[in-house]
Amino acid sequence: MGPSIPTPDPAVVRAHLARRVHVVAGKGGVGRTTIAAGLAHKLARAGYRTLLLEVDAPDDAARAMGVQPAVDSPREAFNNLWLCRMTPTGSMKEYALLVLKFKALYNLVFENRLVKYLLRSIPSLGEFTMSGKAWYHSEERREDGALKYERIVIDAPATGHAITFLSVARTVANVAPKGVMRDFAEKMAALLESQDDACLHVVCLPEEMPVNEGLDVLKMGVERVRMRPGLGFVNRVLEERFDAEALEVIGRLPEAMAPFASVAQLRSDRERWQSEHAERFAEDSALPTLVVPDVAETTPDGRFDLDTVVSILDEAAGESSAKEAQGG
Amino acid sequence: MADTLASPLSRARCVVCVGPGGVGKTSTSAAIAMQGAAAGRRTCVLTIDPARRLANALGMPQIGNVERDVDAAAFEAVGLPPPKGRMTAMMLDIKQTWDDVVTRYHPDPAKKKKLLESRMYVTMSTALAGSQEYMAMEKLYELSCRDEDPLDLIVLDTPPSNHAMDFLEAPSRMLNALDNDATRWLLEPALNKKRTSRKLFDAGSSFFLRTISRFTGAELLQELAELLAGFSGMFDGFRERAKAVRKILEADDTTFFVISTPNTSGVDAAGQFHERLTSHGIHVGAAVLNRATPDPFGGEPCPALDALEAAVVAEGGTADLAARLHREAELTRDRAVAHVEARTSLDNRLDVPVVLIPQLPRDVHDLLGLEQLRRHLFGESSTD
Repeated sequence: MGPSIPTPDPAVVRAHLARRVHVVAGKGGVGRTTIAAGLAHKLARAGYRTLLLEVDAPDDAARAMGVQPAVDSPREAFNNLWLCRMTPTGSMKEYALLVLKFKALYNLVFENRLVKYLLRSIPSLGEFTMSGKAWYHSEERREDGALKYERIVIDAPATGHAITFLSVARTVANVAPKGVMRDFAEKMAALLESQDDACLHVVCLPEEMPVNEGLDVLKMGVERVRMRPGLGFVNRVLEERFDAEALEVIGRLPEAMAPFASVAQLRSDRERWQSEHAERFAEDSALPTLVVPDVAETTPDGRFDLDTVVSILDEAAGESSAKEAQGG
Repeated sequence: MADTLASPLSRARCVVCVGPGGVGKTSTSAAIAMQGAAAGRRTCVLTIDPARRLANALGMPQIGNVERDVDAAAFEAVGLPPPKGRMTAMMLDIKQTWDDVVTRYHPDPAKKKKLLESRMYVTMSTALAGSQEYMAMEKLYELSCRDEDPLDLIVLDTPPSNHAMDFLEAPSRMLNALDNDATRWLLEPALNKKRTSRKLFDAGSSFFLRTISRFTGAELLQELAELLAGFSGMFDGFRERAKAVRKILEADDTTFFVISTPNTSGVDAAGQFHERLTSHGIHVGAAVLNRATPDPFGGEPCPALDALEAAVVAEGGTADLAARLHREAELTRDRAVAHVEARTSLDNRLDVPVVLIPQLPRDVHDLLGLEQLRRHLFGESSTD
C-alpha cells in the first residue's frame, strides 16, 4: 500500500517553491543533498537562476549530479544552476576581505598562524561567516540590477550543526555591539526569518532516529530560528512489491517454497514499518510531505537519479513534468 | 565456530564502540552491556544519543547524566531472566558534564561562578567542536576511577564519526582551541592582571587585535578573553585527565569494537577504523557488521522459476507474481551472499573476530530486541 500520507495541496507546494531561499535540513545520511540537488534542478528547469550552496560537504551534490566538485565561488554547472560550496575557512576569508577591503591587510593579519588559531577557537564563527555568505549571494545583483540568483537552495549541515548554522545570525544580532558584525547579522537573520522569502524543508528516512531528528530540527527551526516550515520529504521509501492478494497466494505455497514466502514476508514487513515511520513524520510534522521512492534499489551504482526528485516535485506542484509532456 | 564477541569481552573492563553513524552503535553497546551483566559483572553503559524508545527500555526517561538501573522487573516483564550482575545505563548530557567538571575542578570559587554564568561559556560548552567527545571521556574517567560502587565493565557508545581518530583526538583538538600560543599571545592584555585596565582594547592593544576586531567586533574578543581567563588554572587539570583517559583507552583491559554495516562502504570504513586505531596503540577487540541480509535459502540453491511458477499458479496466482517473487528472492540471496563475502574479506584483513549480525525484523528498541541482538553477538542465536 505504501504509507498513507495526505496528498499535499498543489497550491501550497507551489507557494513554497516560489520562495527565494530554501534551507534543506535533516539527520546525517538521510539524503539531504539529493533532495537539495533535486530541488535546485527543479527550480533551475522552471527558469529561475538558482544557486545551490553546499555547507561543508562540497563533493556530495557534485557527485549526485555527475559534475566537478563545487568551489568557493559559484560556478554554473547546468543551465541556470550554479553550484558553490561553503566552508568555515573559505567564508571567513571572503567575509574578512569584504570588511577589510585590502587583500594585503588580510594576508598580513588573517594568514598569521596565531590569528588563524584564535579564530578557530571562537565558537560558531565558522557558521556565522557561512550564513553571511549565503546572505551575500542572496543579495548579489547583476549589472542590469536584477538579482543574480533568483532562488537559493542551502544544503544545510546535519541536525545539530544546522540549528547552530541557522540561529547564529540572530544570536549575534542580539548580543553583538553596534557595528559591522551586528549589521550583517541583522540582515542575515531577517532573511531567514522572512515568512515570504524563506522556508525550511526537512528530509528524513522512514526509520526511528531519522524521523525523530527530522522532527527535532523542524521544531528548533520554527521555534528558535523562527523560520517558516516548508515541505517534508521522506526519502528512500520502498515501493510495494506484493499486495495483500499476492501475499495471500504466497502464504498458501507448499512447504518446499517456504523460503519464497519468508522473502515476501520480510519485504512486506519492512514496507509496513517504513510506512508507520513515514506516517508518523507526516502527522507529527504537519508538513506537506512528499514520499521519495528508494531509487538506489534500481541504480546499484548509487548515483541518484535526480529526475525522480524533480518529477515528484512537479507532480506535487500539480505541474506535468517535462518527461510526461514529451510522452516519455 | 563462528566469531563472537565473547572472548574479547571477557578480557575487557572497558569497551568502546566506534563507527560511522546509523549502524546500530547504541543498540550494540546496550546489548554488550547486557551480556556483561548476565555474566554477573557490575556493568554500566554510557550512551550518547539513544532513540527515545531505547532510552525508555533501558529505564532512562530523560538525559541528564543520571545513572539508572535497568530493573530486574523490566526483564521479568518481558519474560527474560534478570541479569546476575547489576546493570545501569546513562545518557551523556554535554552541558551538565561541563558544569560538573568546572564545578569539581575549578581552583578559584569566584572565577568559577563567573565562568558558569558567562554567555560565552554556555555557547562554548555545547557548540565547540569535539566538546561531546571530550565530555564522554571526562565521564569515562569519572566512572573508571570512582571508589564507590566500582564497575567491572563500562561500555561506552561514541558519537557517530567517519574518521577513526575523531574520538581519540577530540580532547587535544578542543584543548588546543582553548589554550594555545595564539590565545595566550593575542589575549595577553586581557589576561594580565597587573594591568590597571582589564579592557582588551585600548591605545596599547596590538595591531592584530584591532584588525581582527573590525571583523569580529571588539566585544566578542573581550568575551573570549574573559572566557579563557575564566578557565585559567584548569587547563593543566584538563590535560592531565586527558592523558589519564588516554592511558585507560590504551590499557590492556580496554578494547574497542568497530561497529559498521556489511555493504562495501561499511566494510571499508570498518577496515580503516581498525587500521587507524591499531596504528595509534589502541587495542581493537572485534568488528561487528550489523544488518546483514539473511540468506532465505540457507546456502542451498534457489529453486528454478518454473517450479515456483507452477506452485504459484496452483494457488491461484499469476506467472507475473511468480516472476516478481523469484526475482525478489534472488536479489535477497545475492545481497546475503555479498554480505557474507564482505565479512570474509574483512576477516582476512583483520586479526580479530568479525561478527556478522543479521537484520533483525524491527528496529531494536526494547529489551527483547536487545536480547536477540545480544544472542547474535555472543553466538547463542541457534534458538531464535
